[in-house]
Amino acid sequence: MKYFYFLIIFLSSTVAIAQNGNKQKTLSGVVVDASSNVPIVGANLHSKKAGLSATSDNDGKFTITINAELDTIVITYIGYKTYQTPVSKKSEQLRILLTPESTALQEVVINTGYQELPKERSTGSFTTVDNKTLNQQVSTNILDRLESVVNGLSVDRYTTTTSGPSNIMIRGQSTIIGVKGPLIVVDNFPYNGDISNINPNDVESITVLKDAAAASIWGTKAGNGVIVITTKKGRFNQPVTFEFNANTSITGKPDLFKINQISSSDFIDVEKYLFSQGYKFSDTSDVNQPPFSPVYEIMFKQKNGQLSADAANAQIDALRTRDYRNDLTKYFYQNAINQQYSFSARGGSADMSWMFFSGYDKNVNELAAKSDRLNLQLSNTYKPTQRLQINTSVYFTNSNSQNGKPGYFDLRTVNGELPVYTQLVGANGQALPVIKDYRPIFLNQAGNAKLLDWNYYPLDDYKNVDAQNNVYDLIGNIGVNYKVYHDLSIDLKYQYERQQSSTNTIYGTGSYMTRNLINTYTQIDPSTGAPTYIIPNGAINDVSNDKLQSNQFRAQFNYAKAWKKHSVSAIAGSEIRSSEDPANSFRSYGYNPSTLNTVYVDLANFYTTQVPVGQQSQIPNIAGFTKTVNRFVSYYGNAAYTYDEKYTASVSGRRDASNLFGVNTNDKWTPLWSAGLGYDLSKEQFYHIEALPYLKLRGSYGFSGNADPSRVALTTISYSPFTNPDTQTPYAFIDRYANPELKWEKIKMINFGVDFATKNNRITGSIEYYTKKGTDMFGATRIDYTTGITSSLIKNVASISGHGIDILLNTQNLTGALKWSTTINFSTNNDKVTDYYLKSANGSDYISSSPLVTALVGKPIYSVFSYKWMGLDHQTGDPIGYINGHTSKDYASIIGDSTKITDLAFHGSAMPTIFGSVGNDFSYKSISLSIRIVYKFGYYFRRPSLSYSNLFDQRAGNSEYASRWQKQGDELTTNVPSMVYPADVNRDIFYNGADVNIEKGDQVRLQYITLGYDFSQNMFKRLPFKSLTLYSNINNVGILWRANKKGLDPDYASGLNLPSSKTFSLGIRGSF
Amino acid sequence: MKKYYIICTCLMLIVFSSCKKFLDPKPSQSLAVPSTLEDLQALLDDQGTINSRDIASGEISADDYYLTSTDWTALPYEENRRLYTWANDRTSRPSPNDWSYAYKIVLSSNIVLDNIEHIDRNTANQTTWDYVKGQALFTRAKQFLSIALTWSPAYDPATAATDLGVPLRLTEDFNTPSVRANVQDSYAQVVSDLKKAASLMIDVPVAKTRASRPAAWGLLARTYLAMSSYDSCFKYTNLYLQKQHDLIDYSTEITATATKPFARYNKEVCYDSYISNTILAVSRAKIDSNLYKSYNANDIRKTAFFRNNNNGTYGFKGNYSLNLFGGISTNEVYLMRAECYARLSNKDAALSDLNLLMAKRWKTSAFVPFTATTAQDALKIILVERRKELLMRGLRWMDIKRQNKENANIVLARTVNSQTYTLSPNDLRYALSIPEDVISLSGIPQNRR
Repeated sequence: MKYFYFLIIFLSSTVAIAQNGNKQKTLSGVVVDASSNVPIVGANLHSKKAGLSATSDNDGKFTITINAELDTIVITYIGYKTYQTPVSKKSEQLRILLTPESTALQEVVINTGYQELPKERSTGSFTTVDNKTLNQQVSTNILDRLESVVNGLSVDRYTTTTSGPSNIMIRGQSTIIGVKGPLIVVDNFPYNGDISNINPNDVESITVLKDAAAASIWGTKAGNGVIVITTKKGRFNQPVTFEFNANTSITGKPDLFKINQISSSDFIDVEKYLFSQGYKFSDTSDVNQPPFSPVYEIMFKQKNGQLSADAANAQIDALRTRDYRNDLTKYFYQNAINQQYSFSARGGSADMSWMFFSGYDKNVNELAAKSDRLNLQLSNTYKPTQRLQINTSVYFTNSNSQNGKPGYFDLRTVNGELPVYTQLVGANGQALPVIKDYRPIFLNQAGNAKLLDWNYYPLDDYKNVDAQNNVYDLIGNIGVNYKVYHDLSIDLKYQYERQQSSTNTIYGTGSYMTRNLINTYTQIDPSTGAPTYIIPNGAINDVSNDKLQSNQFRAQFNYAKAWKKHSVSAIAGSEIRSSEDPANSFRSYGYNPSTLNTVYVDLANFYTTQVPVGQQSQIPNIAGFTKTVNRFVSYYGNAAYTYDEKYTASVSGRRDASNLFGVNTNDKWTPLWSAGLGYDLSKEQFYHIEALPYLKLRGSYGFSGNADPSRVALTTISYSPFTNPDTQTPYAFIDRYANPELKWEKIKMINFGVDFATKNNRITGSIEYYTKKGTDMFGATRIDYTTGITSSLIKNVASISGHGIDILLNTQNLTGALKWSTTINFSTNNDKVTDYYLKSANGSDYISSSPLVTALVGKPIYSVFSYKWMGLDHQTGDPIGYINGHTSKDYASIIGDSTKITDLAFHGSAMPTIFGSVGNDFSYKSISLSIRIVYKFGYYFRRPSLSYSNLFDQRAGNSEYASRWQKQGDELTTNVPSMVYPADVNRDIFYNGADVNIEKGDQVRLQYITLGYDFSQNMFKRLPFKSLTLYSNINNVGILWRANKKGLDPDYASGLNLPSSKTFSLGIRGSF
Repeated sequence: MKKYYIICTCLMLIVFSSCKKFLDPKPSQSLAVPSTLEDLQALLDDQGTINSRDIASGEISADDYYLTSTDWTALPYEENRRLYTWANDRTSRPSPNDWSYAYKIVLSSNIVLDNIEHIDRNTANQTTWDYVKGQALFTRAKQFLSIALTWSPAYDPATAATDLGVPLRLTEDFNTPSVRANVQDSYAQVVSDLKKAASLMIDVPVAKTRASRPAAWGLLARTYLAMSSYDSCFKYTNLYLQKQHDLIDYSTEITATATKPFARYNKEVCYDSYISNTILAVSRAKIDSNLYKSYNANDIRKTAFFRNNNNGTYGFKGNYSLNLFGGISTNEVYLMRAECYARLSNKDAALSDLNLLMAKRWKTSAFVPFTATTAQDALKIILVERRKELLMRGLRWMDIKRQNKENANIVLARTVNSQTYTLSPNDLRYALSIPEDVISLSGIPQNRR
């Protein structure tokens, strides 16, 4: 409410401004592209006699003053032919049509989220991706389309296997343990909801802000760069246009046999050996009744005399040819199908423009999980007077997703993986039970067989679970622009967002989850054998809700003035943001989906459980409530001055205060600022290089920040679960310590760039070099314990530095009937930690199969280290390591504190240090073809390898078991150690971390091929279309080259996710 | 035109003028930010932090006990051995140590004191509000006093303004650098905190692990005694004894031969806290044989306080808490008042207080009241009896330091492995070496050598 109140004051205070009368005449008009009628922003207008200049605004509109009865206006804009037109004081509403010099060099307008400016007048580093390039790919999530097309952007697949904004790196990593991932801005405001709500077909363009001059306007959220997404908008004076797009994509089943898994026969041999050693026999009396593998159960039967040796061997040998990946591929996985439909309409009159967008996506993934998404957007711009413009827009998203079948990684037992030879589906396609939590023998006799069926049937179970996730997201925008004076305007913008997300999972009475819980608590009357259900024999309903709500308000002055050879544009404003995210979850037992009844259960008392046998336990209660509140108050400003269209200087600054920061930090109001210079050398009189008609130099220096919502500036305490025996009151410990100095991580970036274009724009592009230095990075440090804090503390203590090159080249190779253009993105990025308070000098802390930040001074933020490898012992096949200058088989010492960091082999960065893409676009008449290649070089990864302790204990085997050392001489051909029993965990850890398992990650991938056919109007005159394009796309085509010789896909090297398959899409898009 | 700029600017300022309040909410509500009186009391009720970590280094350096050469050699760390032999430096293990334990309590107190200011004090909660604040002031002052007694020279009015005292940490903000105040200011802080605490607290706490008004008075008296301000010391012993004066009659109320004759929270205890240190463990620390011999056979303490190790040595079992008592108790207050009377030349009153206490310590039939001809004689007797009554409580170190200031000439000597170490009166080493890692992390000055 407060915001509206002030809005009204603002309006009323400015309504009464009278126009200054004078003898001059002010003419107004609009500059548009002659062919598309799209307004041209930032065109220069110059009245020859009056000697006055003007610039067209965001809608291409301008006002220019003349003082003679007749004058001539010269209109120039980069990439367009200069245009002159005579005017008189009687001229009304000029409409100036500019024709492009060449169709190749298009007007590039940069949107920073605060202002739009022509790229020529910027000093910072921006990458823009237009609608055409975005449309070459087909995907549900807009972010998926960025890696292969955005200069300087890479995706981290090393530290996490899920995709999302936090994996995206712009110019490498800018934090150690802080927030990763760039700030994502949608239509001028930071996007608080889930970015997958945004429909890619509604995106007009994307601008990526890479250096400080570009990003520092976003202050403490911009340390990792900024991605500004602009959705489609209507324009004034535009005829009504309808656009549609429909496509279908099919993604193949994943190839499970790319997983290097031990063969069934090998695994059975291992199990037989383990059984002969009596391994895990003690589990038979474990109160938890953990399951044994089928082979073990057969051998137990043989041992107990229930089976003859021959019969047992026959049963076992029958399993040798089985592999549950066959069942998974046949019965579980399927082709994923995505369908996308969108329709939009837009138009505009002289004082009104509007846009309507609707989109619907329907997906079925490779495990039959369904999801859909509906997007609706309505936006309006109304201009009641020449001075006032009002924008409103509403963006609505509703997405739903359902559960699917279990996949390869979901089928695990309580004590390890499912044995490879497990049969999931019977001969007639019926679902078979597999081991999960308990021994089948126990399940059959538990509760005197009066319990519900306690088996787990993977093929059917998902049918009994109904998991629904619904997201409603609503974004409302209102913006007012008022021109106070012809060179000064005020913008007021307000955005409200509410994202309501709820997950409702009904575990039906047939689901394993429900049967398992009910059985666990069922009491059997010892005399009658009658079961008493402590957990009602009904479904279980888990519900969780999350209601994100954010308010953002911005007030901004815009100033733009051009006179003679000078032009100034500046903005200054302030912003207030608040987002709250309350969430809760709870569970109902005995849920009846048809009557919506639930049954009361006793969560307080303890009941004897069937398993763990004879123990007492409470019924699980999963109720929980959380709430987060983030608030920001910010002031910002930006000014650019251009002289003679040659020299541009810009400054930008911002200060933020937030409830995330410490009080002292807020009080100091340290601003983040940047400054930049641009110099258009080609406009100089002395510049005569004809081959290079456009050459611009630019440089910038400045700071941006990175605030982490998970670090708090407040003291927090946690209560002891016990009571003070003397006072009979609860008591508490200090959990985290107040840090009034807590602040954002600060990133300093220096950027030098050259923009150029050769004659006729045959080659255009930019070369940029940057260095960055991160200070106040979060890191652990020791602290003077006079403060009372004895542990190490996460504080703003560490530093990192990085540097790199971004090269962008666009070439027009052929411009005749057959057109061929190439886009080359080439980036390098090298980072290192320059200051960190190290907790440990132990080598083992820097080697781990799971990703970890190494944070070692002088080394990359993510480094790959390994143990030095001295081969296999030719007598025993034991791996040999290296300690203190000697070979050693003392594995406990090697992985313990005897191995210092200096004893390790350092390979390099775990993130690509050279990366980019090459795109080739061909067109001939109505056919167009785009091919995009992505490459990554200069990095390493650790290959998953065999661990005998995991093989024995977790049934997790690597196929390299087959090539293990077995006899003397094998050490010449293999690095896989011999099998020893009992397994030595330290020996396994050493081998897994040894340098023989490090591979180079370098690779070249063919990312996508898109083929389009344009039914232009000329060919189909009778069709009511302005344009109609049929297109097809193959995404994720395959690896063209890789450095490793083992056929591993470095993007999926962790072994924790499956390599993705090719996607084929077919679609049609048009307008009328 | 200009006025519009001004109007707009003013409007913008109005919009965001209330931003300070806007930024107040905590970022996540699942964080238990100490925001209620119950939260703050819960921090003070964490006995493991607040009541069980009294500083041991002073007692380890004092002369109520000794270690055999075997036990000394078998001490786990070199720093322990150096502390026992009054080495110049490296007498403390890296954190956790006495310094970190003490300042952890200071931090808890400061968190309470900083956060209670954000809690509204009203008619409904004022008693609790005051009491919580008073307890925090008390626990902080108690640590500051112990730190001063351990790591600073004895209080001397002539040099107190220049002697290095205690890093007085008064807020929870760990970014504030630690600075050593002078001795004068250190004691002044303790006194003002305790006076404020006494004015805020209640007389009878729910449990003796919580401080109370008499506890503050008792500690104030101890502070003034350390400062040789006997008038003030007297004043607060009097206030204390008006509220709490019950003594245990050792001849009737305890079983002197028991392994642990005294109950925790017994009626002499006013505030409970204890010292716990492996060097001072009853299995290791042997009571100084002359001290043991100085107890009369009819003195019940000779049985109640000491455990016969059956090898000619004795261990101490007379503590009033779970371990060596470090709190405030009525017997100490009586002895302080007796000492004040004597120093203020009131011989009869001094002897009266002493005999009141001693009558409860001796076998009733055998007790002969102490007599003295002058106040000076009475003082000597009282100081001897003070040592015998209050041994192994962390008080002896302070007593040696203050008595040597008035030329008592107490020379400490320890012999291990045939090597004798001595500590002469007013030696600089009476201010122990501050843990070296604190010096390097904080940059505060080390004690002179």
